[in-house]
Amino acid sequence: MGKHRSSINITLSVWKALFLRESVHRLFSSRAAWLWLLLEPMVHVVFLMFLFGVVSLRVIGGIEAAVWIMLGLLAFFMFRRTGTQGMHAVASNQALFSYRQVKPVDTVLSRAALEGFLMVLVTLVLCLGAALVGLDVIPANPLAVLEAFFGLWLVGLGFGLITSVAQHLVPELGKFVGLLMTPLYFLSGVMVPMHVVPAPYREWLMLNPLAHGVEAVRLGFAPHYQAVPELSIGYLYVSALIGVFFGLALHVHFSMRLATK
Amino acid sequence: MISVRDVYKRYRTDHGAGKWVLQGVSFSIPANTNVGLVGRNGAGKSTLLRLIGGVDHPTKGSVERHCRVSWPMGFGGGLQGSLTGRQNAKFVCRVHGHEHDIPERLDAIQAFAEIDDAFDEPVKNYSSGMRSRLQFALSLAFDFDVYISDEVTAAGDAAFRKKALQAFKGLANRAGLIMVSHGEATLRQFCSAGIWLNDGQAHWFDDIDDALKAYKESQKL
Repeated sequence: MGKHRSSINITLSVWKALFLRESVHRLFSSRAAWLWLLLEPMVHVVFLMFLFGVVSLRVIGGIEAAVWIMLGLLAFFMFRRTGTQGMHAVASNQALFSYRQVKPVDTVLSRAALEGFLMVLVTLVLCLGAALVGLDVIPANPLAVLEAFFGLWLVGLGFGLITSVAQHLVPELGKFVGLLMTPLYFLSGVMVPMHVVPAPYREWLMLNPLAHGVEAVRLGFAPHYQAVPELSIGYLYVSALIGVFFGLALHVHFSMRLATK
Repeated sequence: MISVRDVYKRYRTDHGAGKWVLQGVSFSIPANTNVGLVGRNGAGKSTLLRLIGGVDHPTKGSVERHCRVSWPMGFGGGLQGSLTGRQNAKFVCRVHGHEHDIPERLDAIQAFAEIDDAFDEPVKNYSSGMRSRLQFALSLAFDFDVYISDEVTAAGDAAFRKKALQAFKGLANRAGLIMVSHGEATLRQFCSAGIWLNDGQAHWFDDIDDALKAYKESQKL
């Protein structure tokens, strides 16, 4: 301990400790917890492919339906998992605030980082699996894919930062946010293609930044994909950054109340 | 050296702001001084310890720590139930910047806590005695300038308590101590100075005996 540690030094060691501890918790807390990380998106993909098979839809917007579904789901999960894990970060780490080095915002940030990292792994594994069954899942523009995924992760982070504070102040909000997730799933173009929605309504749906992210991921994989014309990666990033800053501001303002019960 | 300046504290309750627990508390604790906090239940002793430990913040006023201060020992918190004792201990080592010598510290913690194989069990399966052993061992594993203790000497069974007392003595000799205890003998044994908390005010006494006397006299009335 000897010398005085600088603030940045302390924060970095807290982040590292939290990240490692969260990963142990996330991957090994219950039997085969790590398997469910993979299975959940996989089950969704298989179920939706079955549904689309029933209506015998083979191609959507110029790319294979299976790839279209898988990419959409993975993109949406990038947001949803980061967001919901972040939302519960403060409540489930309450015990740790008896070490004054650990601030509530640290728990949200490290959880979001872990979740983003895990989703990248999940995406790689699922793409590998899809390639093995003969689907075309080599991204044509890997940088654009990364850009879209990172934007979705940022939206998730902002969502987690805001809801972790909101849920602490008004516990009922947690249930409400849970309810909100299902319509978001439908409204983000994960299972219903955005371009089939007629013009005036589509503009309203495209106010949702997630729809931009989901479409951008698909476009990054296949440049010939007929994405919605409103697609704007800038809109995704601007709304993500607004969310993150608003969330951080909430954490600064309520840090005292978050750390104490 | 720890300085507490004009600290006010009240908690938020379900019905708005609660009543003031501390009202304008000021004192400073010189280095290597052992201080005992006395006062009746609810006088704000634990609140003051939490404020000094930096776990909670004053509503008004400020607390400055010019030395390494431990977390408040003896609280139920600080351990995550789903992780093992070892994982929890690793976490605390990392948070306190001891990334490089984790194995040695883990050995020391495991040896002192005497919880053997249970060290690799999830903490939620621990008995309350085992929990407090682990917590006590954790706080001993780091060299702080000032230790904050809330009735920790009362942890565990008779044999462990004896050992803990021994360790506590060594600690009181090399570092400062701020403690709350309802055992008068314990306070006299460890502390030289005393703070008496009454009606939201703190009264400093250079001699713990005077603090205890003032506290007892207030109770007689």
